[in-house]
Amino acid sequence: MTGKTHRQDFKAYAADYGQRYGILIALVLVCVALSVANEFFLTQRNIINVLRQASINGILAIGMTFVILTRGIDLSVGSVVALAGVVSASFATTSATAGIAGAPYGFYIAISIGILVGMAAGWINGILVAYFNVPAFVTTLGMLSAARGLTLLYTGGRPVPSLTPEYRYVGTGDVFGIPMPIILFAVVFIAAFLVLSSTRFGRHVYAAGGNPHAARVSGINVKRVRMMVYVISGALAGLAGMILAARTGSALPQAGIAYELDAIAAVVIGGTSLSGGVGRVTGTLIGALLISVVNNGLDLMGVESYYQQVIKGMLIVAAVMLDQARHKHA
Amino acid sequence: MTKLLKTMTLAAAFMGSTAAIAQDVPRIGAAVYGLNAEFMQLWAAALEQHPAVVEGKVNVTIFDGRYDALVQQEQFETMITQGFDAIIFVPIDIEAGATAVQAAHDAGIPVVGSNTRVNSDLLLSYVGSDDVQSGYMEARYVLDQIGCEGGVVIIEGPIGQSAQIERLEGNMQALAECPDVTVLEQQTANWSRAEAQTLMENWLTRHGDNIKGVIGQNDEMALGAIEAIRGAGLDVNDFAIAGIDGVTDALMAVKNGDMASILQDGAAQAQGALDVAIAAVLDGYEPMSPIWEQYADMPWNGGTDAEYNVPWTPVTAENVDALLEMRQ
Repeated sequence: MTGKTHRQDFKAYAADYGQRYGILIALVLVCVALSVANEFFLTQRNIINVLRQASINGILAIGMTFVILTRGIDLSVGSVVALAGVVSASFATTSATAGIAGAPYGFYIAISIGILVGMAAGWINGILVAYFNVPAFVTTLGMLSAARGLTLLYTGGRPVPSLTPEYRYVGTGDVFGIPMPIILFAVVFIAAFLVLSSTRFGRHVYAAGGNPHAARVSGINVKRVRMMVYVISGALAGLAGMILAARTGSALPQAGIAYELDAIAAVVIGGTSLSGGVGRVTGTLIGALLISVVNNGLDLMGVESYYQQVIKGMLIVAAVMLDQARHKHA
Repeated sequence: MTKLLKTMTLAAAFMGSTAAIAQDVPRIGAAVYGLNAEFMQLWAAALEQHPAVVEGKVNVTIFDGRYDALVQQEQFETMITQGFDAIIFVPIDIEAGATAVQAAHDAGIPVVGSNTRVNSDLLLSYVGSDDVQSGYMEARYVLDQIGCEGGVVIIEGPIGQSAQIERLEGNMQALAECPDVTVLEQQTANWSRAEAQTLMENWLTRHGDNIKGVIGQNDEMALGAIEAIRGAGLDVNDFAIAGIDGVTDALMAVKNGDMASILQDGAAQAQGALDVAIAAVLDGYEPMSPIWEQYADMPWNGGTDAEYNVPWTPVTAENVDALLEMRQ
């Protein structure tokens, strides 16, 4: 009797352990394999490249984690990246034609505008999902289309070029040799980690996603929580859009197409359940890193980019299978 | 009731009169593959600024194909139903566009191709630029800069698009003239600046300063490579970099001495195609666009040539300011 319980305990424990660390183990294994296969992989420069390439998707994926934890989805982040990018850039360009009257404005104004645009898009998503009960898939699909259209209207399809050096610092600057995108990614990660693990709002996010009815009964304002996660996702999409514009040197209206898919992939690979309430932002971090490491490694080995897509697809499915296995044991 | 009747009569009279006006001048539809990118924006703007449109000699309607061959096909059906007099066609897909051309041909509506090719012999004429030539020109520039030796990388457009296929053919013709040049990497970045930036970052890690030249099949991707080089703390001037199209950011990069670009004159392609289309509809029409004077190498010949080849213009330190001026 006790033996069986122990075995069950062990099984559950092993499954939980596997779920919690399986993706980390996978990341370590891939890194070891790549460093054996390619002499450049473990160089400092390449590690910085991988982190920098992971940062935009990683920031989007962290916002997506909040949304998915509440059983939602945010398909609009790629379009919001473009919208926030072009609007904020129009405040930070020295071009007479692409900028808003009086541009360039100061760094903080341009950056605040970008975050606000992202938050506004997220707020509309959140209101519709939480208070009007429109399914998240439909709401954010609508925003995906509308935000892209607004981006094209705002720019007439043309890039916003000639960004001020201060603005470009967000994408190309560094502090003690660490590029700004990586620093911002780290800051966003730590903040999200703290919010989810040790604040009341964080607990409410898990509760609202795990069992909305019980959460409501215990006095949590579930609607407000569900709205807030979209505002967070939108704000982070705004930040990502500005990093992207600052990195590429112009805010492009075509930027960010299909970025939502990579963000969702990172969240799912990181073990956050699409049925809500279960998941960690550390998993998302590792998921985003894994995607970048695989892409980078295959580039370094001169493998055609089409394989990268196939491998990413297999990773997503494998991660969900792992997730299901855990649920069966638990 | 009488008031309602009155309103309806008025409305009917008004509609009738607009219809009459519309019938007076030929209606020409332009089906373009998509209006999201700068190049097609310039193309469309030039079409609307054509003197014949400005003076009201013809009515022009532009249809945004939204990068979907099926959408373009449906727009053709709409134009046929509405009885357009001629169609200018910039297809998304070289093969899928042929069905649409066939349908217009069956309805007796002449179709003039522009900018991108379609695999159909039913086109009245094609006004575009030879992508093989631009591919050769940009690669030749890079190879001349590096003295016909060393390593280069090629950043390609979406595999299978006519511009990617033809520009690559041109790239390869030039490379064949320099047997000492090695192609270190050759991958697609789908015309995207951000994708090209990531590719180039990873290539720089792998090949370091063995990369002497970057052949970008469009400007956006060449610009992405430049950002990657800067990001790696290297000097852009140590690389020979070229792109194609002459988008505004690239013009500024040329002015800055960072890269070379070859201007694809989308405005001339648009206005030329419209002149050919009008000539097919109005007897004795003389072309009104200034482009025929601008390009002496492309004679009008009564608007009956099967193909008009708009010349490429290399962007240089001398002409870049004038070109930038035109974008304002």
